[in-house]
Amino acid sequence: MLKNHLKISLRNLWKNKTLSILNLLGLSIGVSSVLTLLFSVYAYYTADEHIPDQKSIFYLKTQLKDGNSYREVPYPLLEKVVNTSPEVLAGTHLHGWGNIWLEKGGKEFQHRTDYADPEFFEVFALPLKFGNQETALKEKYSIILTDKVSQQIFGDQNPVGKTLIGADTLNLTVTGVFEPISPYSSFRLGVVLPNTLLKNNPTFIAQTDWSNSFSPAYLKLRPDTDVTALKTRIEQLVQENYTDPALIAGMDLMPYAEMRTDIIPVVDTIISGSIAASLFVLLIILVNLLNLNTSTMLKRTKDIAVRKVLGSSKKSVVAQFCIENGILVFVSILISGILFLTVNLPRLNDTFGPEFGHISFDVFKDYPVVLGVMAIGVLATMIVGIFPTLRFIKVPVTIGIKGKMGQMKNNFLLRNSFIILQFTIAILFISIAVILNQQIRFMKNADLGFERNNILVGHIDLDYKDLDAAKAKFNALLNALEDNPYVKGVATSQAIPSDYYFNYTNYYDAANDKDVRIRRSYADDGYFKTLQVPIVKGRDFNRDMDADEEQAVIINEAALKAFGWTSIEGKRLKFKTDTDPGHPIVGVVKDFHYQDLQNAVEPLVHIYRDKKALEKHRFLTVKVVEGQEKQIEHMIVSAFNAISSRREYEQSRLTDKVSSQYQLIEGILKSVNITAILTIFISCLGMFGLISFLAKRKVKEIGIRKVLGASVAKIVVLLSKDYIILVGIATLIAFPIAWYVMNAWLGTFAYSISIKWWMFVLAGCIALLITAFTLGLQAVRSAVANPVKSLRTE
Amino acid sequence: MLLKLNNIFKWVTTGGQRIFLLKDINLEVQEGEFISVMGPSGSGKSTLLNVIGMLDTFDEGEYNFLDESVHTLKEKHRSNLYKEYIGFVFQSYHLLDELTVQENLEMPLLYKKYKGSERKAMVADMLDRFNIVGKKDLFPAQLSGGQQQLVGVARALIGKPKLILADEPTGNLNSQQSEEIMQLFQKLNKEDGVTIIQVTHSEMNAAYGSRIINLLDGRKI
Repeated sequence: MLKNHLKISLRNLWKNKTLSILNLLGLSIGVSSVLTLLFSVYAYYTADEHIPDQKSIFYLKTQLKDGNSYREVPYPLLEKVVNTSPEVLAGTHLHGWGNIWLEKGGKEFQHRTDYADPEFFEVFALPLKFGNQETALKEKYSIILTDKVSQQIFGDQNPVGKTLIGADTLNLTVTGVFEPISPYSSFRLGVVLPNTLLKNNPTFIAQTDWSNSFSPAYLKLRPDTDVTALKTRIEQLVQENYTDPALIAGMDLMPYAEMRTDIIPVVDTIISGSIAASLFVLLIILVNLLNLNTSTMLKRTKDIAVRKVLGSSKKSVVAQFCIENGILVFVSILISGILFLTVNLPRLNDTFGPEFGHISFDVFKDYPVVLGVMAIGVLATMIVGIFPTLRFIKVPVTIGIKGKMGQMKNNFLLRNSFIILQFTIAILFISIAVILNQQIRFMKNADLGFERNNILVGHIDLDYKDLDAAKAKFNALLNALEDNPYVKGVATSQAIPSDYYFNYTNYYDAANDKDVRIRRSYADDGYFKTLQVPIVKGRDFNRDMDADEEQAVIINEAALKAFGWTSIEGKRLKFKTDTDPGHPIVGVVKDFHYQDLQNAVEPLVHIYRDKKALEKHRFLTVKVVEGQEKQIEHMIVSAFNAISSRREYEQSRLTDKVSSQYQLIEGILKSVNITAILTIFISCLGMFGLISFLAKRKVKEIGIRKVLGASVAKIVVLLSKDYIILVGIATLIAFPIAWYVMNAWLGTFAYSISIKWWMFVLAGCIALLITAFTLGLQAVRSAVANPVKSLRTE
Repeated sequence: MLLKLNNIFKWVTTGGQRIFLLKDINLEVQEGEFISVMGPSGSGKSTLLNVIGMLDTFDEGEYNFLDESVHTLKEKHRSNLYKEYIGFVFQSYHLLDELTVQENLEMPLLYKKYKGSERKAMVADMLDRFNIVGKKDLFPAQLSGGQQQLVGVARALIGKPKLILADEPTGNLNSQQSEEIMQLFQKLNKEDGVTIIQVTHSEMNAAYGSRIINLLDGRKI
């Protein structure tokens, strides 16, 4: 019996080649995108699974009175908390302090470096491939490598006990190698060193007081811990110990599992969007299969009737359809699996890789996804196999055998609601894509308050081997640049727009009793000139006037406003507690968008630093006459090639830097675009099937109308009118939803476009055009058919 | 006695009016009879055949088939009954297009839980008997109308039914093909004792039968 079913199914699929291929195509593309979306969601939720006992791990989050918050705390706080709270089982810091250079056999390596307390493994029991968790961080000169780093330096050997030279002077013994960590994990480690190593470092010691918040702190709590009570106790410690406790609104104990969304809030949007999108695509695929199945049913009613007369039970009719659909579904799952591995996964990594890490697929690890997809496949097969058949199986044999279906009115309404649903979803995605496109275009082209064209950017923090020699050559380059007629401005700075450090300091104005948290950066006297940021009050930096120890500063308008000042006359930037006279404020610049437009312009201060301080600046910025970029670029690059450094010099353009801020959101746009195209494509496939079904049902009507003189155009209109109306209804339903979703989303951007009516009209037109085209294809075909033929067969 | 119809009525209600499709039909069929049902279009021939074949229901009256009272049976038992004892032949053959001749013949057996070897033997026997061994791997579309109807008859016979119901079996065939099918029916009736009820328009075909029933407006005359 099964063999027979299989045989008939294959022949049926073969006979309706076009339909089968359309079906297979829609299914494969749809399923592969669902697979991709679900896989990334799955990878996201399981990425930190290797951390045992995650529920009892928390991190501290500082809430400031001004509404800001950050994950860093002053260094001594952790020890105080651990010592005074019995419910805290262990605590550890995990923070960077510059990436250390490692040397082995004459080769040098640099990887992300984190410093942790010896109790690190009591909090995060990350499994080790080699080595022992208990002793790995006990010794001062130890180092733990990730599997990737270990592979790079030592190959497949067990490196435990071997030594590496760290920062030219330290003899570090490898004490452990981590098991491979999911790239999706919140742990992006390279090498881990014990923070006891830093305790001799004078700059580090200077930072570890009660006023500098620079290290995240993680706690492992007893399962029965009263988190609220502990929070209160920690806040008490903060009030007792902080240099400036008045700034702090509170300390939150955040579950570790929430850290990822805390760091990149848009993750939440991506994940919930992915889930929604995959559900929608799945729904569309299902509806589509239902529609296409229905469309082949006309012929099938006869088949079913004949089978019933020959003694077939309902069960076996349903089985036949399930098998036929099952073949389609599972072949397309296979194809989509291949698509997923060869096309979608690499693209996913390109899109989200920089933010999320590289995702890979491993059957042994990720078999739940495979099983899930299989389960969905079986379920889908059952639904699309059983539902249409049940409807048709009820047709009385005596009617069915004539190839007719009896009354179909109710069913038609049901199917129409399916079409409306499909197109609502498709149009929703198209609208989102259109609006998001506009927003990104707006952000990329908006007036940012500074010049970004024809500006070359060089990364100059290169870890120079011989700093004095490097400085000499750099000064020569600066002179050459300033003398070059094609160069209109040269600047060195710690930051450039799109790449400012998250370096905040609180300054206090005694006159107003105002405490203002300001972002800090360093720049030379050429910075604002090169970027053409206008000075609105006071003056720009000046090499001769500002080269004293006082370190003159220029603030932006937002900072001026935050202090409540109207003039900078005699004003200084001061710490609240310090007796230090503070920085003289020499000027105010117009607000410019030094961050992307998802964020508002916050108070910002630039502290003067000499142009020639190569070791302290990160960027060299050069404004060039249009058309001369290549030549100047060449000049700069060859100068840096002559300077020996550990890192390689990198040259880029400010326009690219600014655009790259939107990489993630562009990735989202790309996904939305693909989903939109996909949903409309699959919906149209279903519509194509349905209208051929309709045309078949109306063969006689078309024939009679033609004999009576109807033109081809009239018949095309007759066939497609209803569907165009359906798409119109779907459009009307989709717009308010799209408006609501996008309004909420655009609200998260500090600077956003307002949604205009024409965006919806554009989305609607796109959908209607595609629909009309699909409909037209089939409608014209039926309309030009010879009426003599169609009337005879009836 | 094979079957007996007592006072069978069947009607549809259109616009508040009852239109009778069958009106007070009384009919007794003995095993081994060859009956032809005749009458003009719309006189209820096909409806009568469908009622006898249990594909269609009736509104009033009694129907006994092999001492089972069909009118009291549930749908499921009814269909078991006709699967077991009745074979159908259609005007437009109704072979399954995606199956070969051989597979079409095998189809009813699949639903009757015969073993694979048994099925093969029965199909081979039938192909042999109808002289269509050479065509066993062809699809219906590759056969002429007469040949298709031959397969249709073979398919109806393969389950060894007591009764064959044929609704204008020659309606789509030319005269020579018609004659062949009629001769086949006659042979089946005479030699194998199969009871046959056929609906036909043609006097010539009707003459092959042992009895003729004439219908007019749903009434036996």
